[in-house]
Amino acid sequence: MAEWHDVGSLAELERDGRVVARVGGREVGVVAEPDGALHGIRNRCPHHGGPLCLGSVLERVAGDPGVYELAGRRVLRCPWHGWEFDLDTGACLDEPTLRAAVYPARVEDGRVLLRA
Amino acid sequence: MIDCDIHPQIGDAEELLAYVDPAQRDWFRAQGPSFGLPGYSWAHPSSWFRQDVEQNGRPPAADVETVRRELLDPSGVEIGVLNGDDAVLVSLIPSPYRAAELARAHNEWLRERWLDAEPRLRASILCPAQDPQAAAAEIRRAAADERFVQVLLCGGADRPYGEPRYLPIFEAAVEHGLPVAIHTGGEGMGLAAPPGGAGPVTFYIEWHTLGSACSTMAHLVSLLCHGVFERFPTLQVLLMEGGLAWLPGILWRLDTNWRALRSEVPWLDRKPSEVAREHVRFSTQPLEHTDGADETLFAMLAAAGAPGNLCFASDYPHWDFDDPDFMVKRLPEAWRAQVLHDNAADLYAARLALPARG
Repeated sequence: MAEWHDVGSLAELERDGRVVARVGGREVGVVAEPDGALHGIRNRCPHHGGPLCLGSVLERVAGDPGVYELAGRRVLRCPWHGWEFDLDTGACLDEPTLRAAVYPARVEDGRVLLRA
Repeated sequence: MIDCDIHPQIGDAEELLAYVDPAQRDWFRAQGPSFGLPGYSWAHPSSWFRQDVEQNGRPPAADVETVRRELLDPSGVEIGVLNGDDAVLVSLIPSPYRAAELARAHNEWLRERWLDAEPRLRASILCPAQDPQAAAAEIRRAAADERFVQVLLCGGADRPYGEPRYLPIFEAAVEHGLPVAIHTGGEGMGLAAPPGGAGPVTFYIEWHTLGSACSTMAHLVSLLCHGVFERFPTLQVLLMEGGLAWLPGILWRLDTNWRALRSEVPWLDRKPSEVAREHVRFSTQPLEHTDGADETLFAMLAAAGAPGNLCFASDYPHWDFDDPDFMVKRLPEAWRAQVLHDNAADLYAARLALPARG
């Protein structure tokens, strides 16, 4: 049964943009978007094993040839090779066969909780 | 069998000069046999041509009769595509005005001296790529004759062909349903960038190994990264004579980099290798010799889209040509129909009125 786990303090999340903790033998993290939205995600990139939660939350870029536009979605970019992942589903946007596990996350009484 | 690469030679300078506008004819005549085309800094140590077909100081394949006798008849070539040989270097002449005139004259020479004389022959449109607007105009002019089945660009170039400056060329080609062939040659000559990517090479063997492969890779990667196929969804490109064994490697490498660096080229919304499979074909010659590892080579090529992306080319009458009969035996049996005929028939379908098969 999935349970809520304390994975760090809200202060740390606000300072670093993410908290990381070990839950049930797996390293997981909670990543915050600039607007405060939280995403629980496994801290292991399905591509090469890099610490995914230490990556950057970025605006994805799109556009027709020669034109750069914001795609209107934020992504988590792995700090190792730069592959981009959907924050909600964990799907790798550039390699559809790969997906990182995602988890519900919330804040309660100054603590960051993740359900796994 | 369709042979995508036959190189007609200019046996008589005056025969070609007759097609040059009189106001420019004396200039071209004064340049001697080169017509002002850049010379090769790296020349073949003995001969550019098959020694058995050289004819007493006159170049081989300099008339329709010879091509018929030495290639079309014995090999059963149904359709043969003529690609200007040294003439493709027009794009490397400093003067775009001379280049445009020589390209036009060469196209007319091909039309009257070759296409009119032999119904199995088709030809590629030469154009001055250093002046893309003028190139597009020549493509549109020549395309009126349906026996011109593709546009021909030179592997040697001062900039890779994905760059926006070249868009008028692709636009004109697509408008007329013409594939664009990029044929190696001229790397390091005239306006072209040095061959190989590490500064000028020393020997012809280096030039022939690196120049053609590297320019082909560079144009392929440039076309894919600039999203030329996203701009022109019906565009087909034929890459000629740059080798094949490197193809899966460069596509795997590009796909890998695309996943990490996609934000630089965000218009690429799928793997570049998938785009290449749909839009890029390769001529077979010169198919690398493998020291007995042909099975490995064909497995690698299959991973990069073969046999659907391979079109047979002989490169007659050059020294490194692939003999049609030899190639038939070397290709996997299951690939032969596609590589020797069907893929090229599809590529040129809009312009080939081929009799129904079977």
